[in-house]
Amino acid sequence: MKFITALKTALGMAPGCEQVNEFLAEYVEGTLDEKMRAQFQEHMDMCKCCDHYLDQYRHTIQLTKETDEISVPSELAEHTLAFLRKSNAFASDQDAASS
Amino acid sequence: MEPTQNTNPASPDAPSDRGDLVTTTAEGAKGPISLEALMAGDEKAFEQLVIQESPRLFRVIVRIVGDDDEAASILQETFLQAFQRINTFRRESKLTTWLYAIGINLARASLRKSRRLSSLEDQEVERMQPDFNRGMFVETPAVWDPARVTELADRRQLVRRGIEQLPEDYKTVLVLRDIEEYSTEEVANMLGISSGAVRVRLHRARGALRKLLDPHMRRLPKD
Ligand SMILES: [Zn+2]
Repeated sequence: MKFITALKTALGMAPGCEQVNEFLAEYVEGTLDEKMRAQFQEHMDMCKCCDHYLDQYRHTIQLTKETDEISVPSELAEHTLAFLRKSNAFASDQDAASS
Repeated sequence: MEPTQNTNPASPDAPSDRGDLVTTTAEGAKGPISLEALMAGDEKAFEQLVIQESPRLFRVIVRIVGDDDEAASILQETFLQAFQRINTFRRESKLTTWLYAIGINLARASLRKSRRLSSLEDQEVERMQPDFNRGMFVETPAVWDPARVTELADRRQLVRRGIEQLPEDYKTVLVLRDIEEYSTEEVANMLGISSGAVRVRLHRARGALRKLLDPHMRRLPKD
C-alpha cells in the first residue's frame, strides 16, 4: 500500500509534500473535497515530513489562539464617546454644549 | 505575490448580509441595534455601537499597531469617521465589517507612518516557508515537544512577539482569522482583497510563525 502511494506520488498521480502543504489550511479546516482529502490522508500516512509539519502547523494555530490577552482600558468606550462629543460629531450635544 | 489593494473598505462585491439588525458581540450583550436608527443618525444607537464594538476593535488595532495609546486614538478616529460617513454604508456587508475596515485602514496608515516596529520583510516570510525539492520536503521537520507547547512558561509572550514581527499584511490576516476568528469572507471584505489572497496570507503567516517558534518547541535531546 505504502509502496503504491509512493509510486503514484513519484509518477505525479498523487499529491507530493509541496502540494499537500499548499492546501494545509483547507485540510485543517476540513474544507477539502472528499477525493482530495482521501489523497491527502494517504500521503500523510506514508510521509513523516508532512505528518511532523502538520503537527507543528496545528500547534502554531493553537498557540496563536492562546497568546497574551490584550487588556482593554475600562473607560475605553466612555473616552471615545467623550471624544465624539468634543468633536461635535453629535449635533444635539453640540447644541447642549453651547447652551 | 497576491493582490494587495486595501483602500477599499467593505468592497461592493461583498456577500450580501443585509439584516436590519446589527448582531451583538460577546462583549456587548445589550441587544441588537437598529440599523435604520444608525443610518438616520440616531446618536443613542451610535453610542450603543461604540459601547458594543470598542473592546474587540481596540484589541485588533492594538495587535496591528503595537501601542495602547495609539490604538485608543485610532479607535476614536474610527468612530468619528464612521459617524460622519454612515450614509456611505451600502449594506452589502455587515455594518461591523464596514466599521472594522475603517479602523484597520487607519491602523495600517499609522503603522506605515511611524515605522515603529522593526518587522520581517515579505521576502523573509517567503524564506521561512519549508523548502521542497521536486515537490518533496528537503528536510524532515522536527518533532515538537507537547509538554513545551502547552507548558513552556513564556510561550504566550513568545507567540505575541512572533506575531508582532510579521509584516503588517500577514499579521492583520492572522489576527483576524486565528485570534478574532472572523471568517475568510469577512476578512476579505474588511481588507478589500479576495478570499484567495486571505487564504494565501494566512497560510504564509502561520508558516512564518511556526518557523519562529520551532527552536523553542523542539523536543530536547535526552542526555
Ligand atoms: Zn509529504
